Amino acid sequence: MNSTWFYYMFFAAILLFAGIYCLLTMRNLIKLFIGIEVVSKAVSLTLIGTGLAKDNLLAAQALLITYIVIEVSLVATALALIINIYRKTQHLDIRQLAKLKG
Amino acid sequence: MVLQTALLIGLVVFSVLAILLKDLLKAAISLAAASLLLGIIFFRMNAPYAGVFEISVVAGLITVLFMLTIALTKGESAAESKVASIAFPAFFVAFIIIDALIMRKLIQKIPALQGPAESGTFGQVLWNARTLDLVGQIAVIFAGVFAVLALFRKRNGKDE
Repeated sequence: MNSTWFYYMFFAAILLFAGIYCLLTMRNLIKLFIGIEVVSKAVSLTLIGTGLAKDNLLAAQALLITYIVIEVSLVATALALIINIYRKTQHLDIRQLAKLKG
Repeated sequence: MVLQTALLIGLVVFSVLAILLKDLLKAAISLAAASLLLGIIFFRMNAPYAGVFEISVVAGLITVLFMLTIALTKGESAAESKVASIAFPAFFVAFIIIDALIMRKLIQKIPALQGPAESGTFGQVLWNARTLDLVGQIAVIFAGVFAVLALFRKRNGKDE
């Protein structure tokens, strides 16, 4: 049972690393958001992996559904923000956004 | 176990492709493929409700939202740092080795926490034990809808 948990944690940690690397190094706003999505996949895998290892799959699934609903709201809002930023500045480079003032 | 490992490796590969591919549309499709694989993994882990939500909402709806955004921003892509892309494989392999070593060390050290085995159906757990979560979900959905409406509202002359 314990080894099952570490098996899923191993892959979740790899996904988390890839997502955080993307967040730290990429400059495109949409690419940054893809990084957040990859991190969220790691979180989903952690939730269900822990539920499976601790024999609490039903509660883990209920939590995951809540998490997915929050994720969708986040994605919709953030992508709307990205579109608005693009309409205002005509690019998606975060280095250009640093020049905004006021 | 072999198939599960292959699926998990596929999930990691598609996620990495989503990060590294320069074409945003291909990156979004890679992300959808990763979500699909994660959904299949959930089905194989005996969590069908999680799998259904992952495939329908994350692989379906979020991919559509991504593609819509890419279309509306005309696939504009910023010049990414070349050093970051070149250094990624080295960092990635180093992290996998460290991850494997740490997990191997921890596997004998940390005892498994034993919780009480749960009973009932998924519906009972969701509607009885996690009722407050559902209220929170409704609030979050409304917050998302109002945020999108506010961001896309027609501006009057003063705002421009």
